[in-house]
Amino acid sequence: MSQTTPCFHCGLPVSEHSGCEAEINGEKRSFCCAGCLTVCQVIHDSGLDAFYSRLNYRSAEAPPPEQVADLEQYDLPELQSEFVRDLGEGRKQAHLLVEGIHCAACVWLIEKGLAAMPGIELAEVNLAHQRLNLRWDSSSVKLSAIMLRLGRLGYAAAPFNAEAAEGSLQRRNRSLLFRMAFAGFGAMNIMWISIALYAGDFSGIDEQHKQFFQLVSFFIATPVLLYSGWPFFRSALLGLKQWRLTMDLPISIGSLSTYAYSCWVLLQTSGEVYFDTVVTFLFVILIGRYLEGLSKRNASSAALRLLELQPRLATRLLDGHGGEERISVRKLQIGDRVLVRPGEKVPADGVVLSGESYVDESMLSGESRPLHKEKGASVVAGSINVDGSLTVEVSLIGADTTLARIVALVEEAQGSKAAVQQLADRIVPWFVATTLGLALITFLYWLRGDFDSALLAAVSVLIITCPCALGLATPMGIAVGVGAGAKRGVLVRHGQALESLASITHVVFDKTGTLTEGSMRVADVSTGNGYEPERLIALAAAVESHSRHPLAAGICAEQKGARLSCSSFVSESGLGVSGEVEGQLVMIGNARLMLRAGAAIDEQMLYQQQQIESEMGVALFVAVDGQLAGLIHMQDRIRDQAPGLVALLRAQGLGITVLTGDSREAGNSLKAELGEMVVKAELMPEDKEAEIRALQQKGEKVLMIGDGVNDAPALARADVSMAMGSGMDVSMECSDIVLVGSDLGRVGFAIALAERTLATIRQNIAISLAYNLILVPAAMAAMVTPVFAAIAMPISSLLVIGNAILIRRRVGGFST
Amino acid sequence: MDVIFGLIPAMIVLGLIGVLIFFWAVKSGQYDDMEGPAHRILDDDDMPEKKDRVDDLPK
Repeated sequence: MSQTTPCFHCGLPVSEHSGCEAEINGEKRSFCCAGCLTVCQVIHDSGLDAFYSRLNYRSAEAPPPEQVADLEQYDLPELQSEFVRDLGEGRKQAHLLVEGIHCAACVWLIEKGLAAMPGIELAEVNLAHQRLNLRWDSSSVKLSAIMLRLGRLGYAAAPFNAEAAEGSLQRRNRSLLFRMAFAGFGAMNIMWISIALYAGDFSGIDEQHKQFFQLVSFFIATPVLLYSGWPFFRSALLGLKQWRLTMDLPISIGSLSTYAYSCWVLLQTSGEVYFDTVVTFLFVILIGRYLEGLSKRNASSAALRLLELQPRLATRLLDGHGGEERISVRKLQIGDRVLVRPGEKVPADGVVLSGESYVDESMLSGESRPLHKEKGASVVAGSINVDGSLTVEVSLIGADTTLARIVALVEEAQGSKAAVQQLADRIVPWFVATTLGLALITFLYWLRGDFDSALLAAVSVLIITCPCALGLATPMGIAVGVGAGAKRGVLVRHGQALESLASITHVVFDKTGTLTEGSMRVADVSTGNGYEPERLIALAAAVESHSRHPLAAGICAEQKGARLSCSSFVSESGLGVSGEVEGQLVMIGNARLMLRAGAAIDEQMLYQQQQIESEMGVALFVAVDGQLAGLIHMQDRIRDQAPGLVALLRAQGLGITVLTGDSREAGNSLKAELGEMVVKAELMPEDKEAEIRALQQKGEKVLMIGDGVNDAPALARADVSMAMGSGMDVSMECSDIVLVGSDLGRVGFAIALAERTLATIRQNIAISLAYNLILVPAAMAAMVTPVFAAIAMPISSLLVIGNAILIRRRVGGFST
Repeated sequence: MDVIFGLIPAMIVLGLIGVLIFFWAVKSGQYDDMEGPAHRILDDDDMPEKKDRVDDLPK
């Protein structure tokens, strides 16, 4: 039997030595990690074993997400006011965003697992959006208890303010859906009435019946035109007021003139009506608009997400008697002293008064190493305190903190971004002028005869040039392009980004987390005094498994085989960690710790240490029983796909710039690996944004690829932006495109997809213009009848839709 | 043939009622989750009994 049995809970392969096995329901099961084991135990103890018979392992493949710390904060009334609805008499309702839902079995598990709790009135999971609709009685159960229960079942929950996140966009899409459905209803009904009219044209029809059918068409077309056509008329009017000609203008002219002419015919009680053309035309255009609307996401929620990074609770130290209290961050005053325990986030910008610790500021500064902070050092809100306790005097609060300044920058950049003019919109002025001109010429030409036939000919020019295919050209292309991208791990959050992406001239990368993996890994191990590298790592991992330091995870990941047990673990901030493994005292840390342990460091290792640190790596010494055993070189590695991508972009003639918050040396070592490029180092978030602006002022179209909070303003500023799927939510909210699985190789695919999509949109516009070119002469010759229009017009739309669908096949050959 | 003068408007009114029902269905959230309810209806059995206190739940 192979050694990779799947984990009983999540289905991931279990490595031989994970050591997580348990007897569940009388059978021995193995698990990939302790997290899965605990969750399975809870599920079993709750009598919810049936979960496993429903589970489809192929869809799972992920251990339970990390738990949210500080759940009690969600019981605070001031926090609950943001997302909880009070139903009176202590009953409350809220929506939670639940991480870890992947299939119907999860829905079952959550609903049944929560229903067993007292005080829960309703727990309903929305599988499509991974949301939980919760109604509970706050007198018998607290929200934090419910979230804790969710955590025990293996899901992480976060409050979700649906209105703030996507309220307006969803309402817009829903109204489009209603208008589309109504136009569809009208189109279906008017069509069978029109068939009666067409048939009457050929076989003869009672005048009384013909007028009745025309009248019915009028009564169907009028509400459709008013209700379904309203968004087009309004936006065309708004555009005209600002001297902008949008695609909505020819749509409005086409539908209104056709409708008005048909009404005139109805009053004259002679001639043919085109009500069916108006309704079908609006229906088809609305389908395109609705599909396009589905591919859009709200951009404005980025700022909200950013503010979520800020902790909501602070531990304030009381003056005098040495007590402490937990208060909301909003109540903090400048000059307050707050205590930040290991693992907590710093609540406000401030200065360290006492204590020392490593602080992880990577999300704000892009610095990949945790920074050592002691008395007098400044800390920023939102950064994570890694290992020691710090007492901080608050110096900036609210809108003045670094985080709040980033929020302001993002909002400013998003607000100032001009709407990209779509290709079709550039054609619109010519299109409108030409059709109106041709209609006028036709009218004047036929005026030599009689007024009625002149009007008919002029209007039929307008009818036949109704820009059905032209209006569909862009929405259909984008809808198909977005769909093709989603299948290959490129999530386009904003359809227009595809058009902009095709014309970029410069690519800007963030370094940490984007070009590199963003976490410290073991790059090299040198040993002394006869230790094997594997043995050294095993000893180090045993000790580090107790540590919360980011470096510790890197060492533990490197260790193979069974984990040794470690006792009497001690962590000393600023020095390192130590513990007893197999009776030996193992110490891991910097040179100062070695000095204290009495372990001599030889010349060569000292030289190596300098070498490593000049390349922005971290050198960790390991001593066993006071004797130097070796040196572990930790480094943030460049992603495997990065060199290939950089070469590809360079071959396409695109400029490449790397912006990093790291030091110059780090930038230089990047050049050594990826080849010549512009590297700008030691940048603050606002500097990155300024660099993008400078490039844009030089006329470059900039694509920014980043992952962190510090990239957010730059991402918002760039013409097109991509975020790594593993990055901070904020960076994804600021970006147009998200790369699933942080696979850099997909950047090349995304650019190819954008080019194909743009090419298809161009072809579609060409098709629709060519169609007009062929049919306009027929209209000018007054040869158009309602039947002719009803048959000829859908042909162009079908051609455009068919061509758009081909995008999928055209990018099929591109290997990612 | 005169019957069509009454029947056609009646048909359209019927269709309109259908559209209004669709609007109501969308507004009441019936199209928000297209997958979950299909499974939920099959999963209505084996409900664990309700515990009286939060502390009784397995840790």
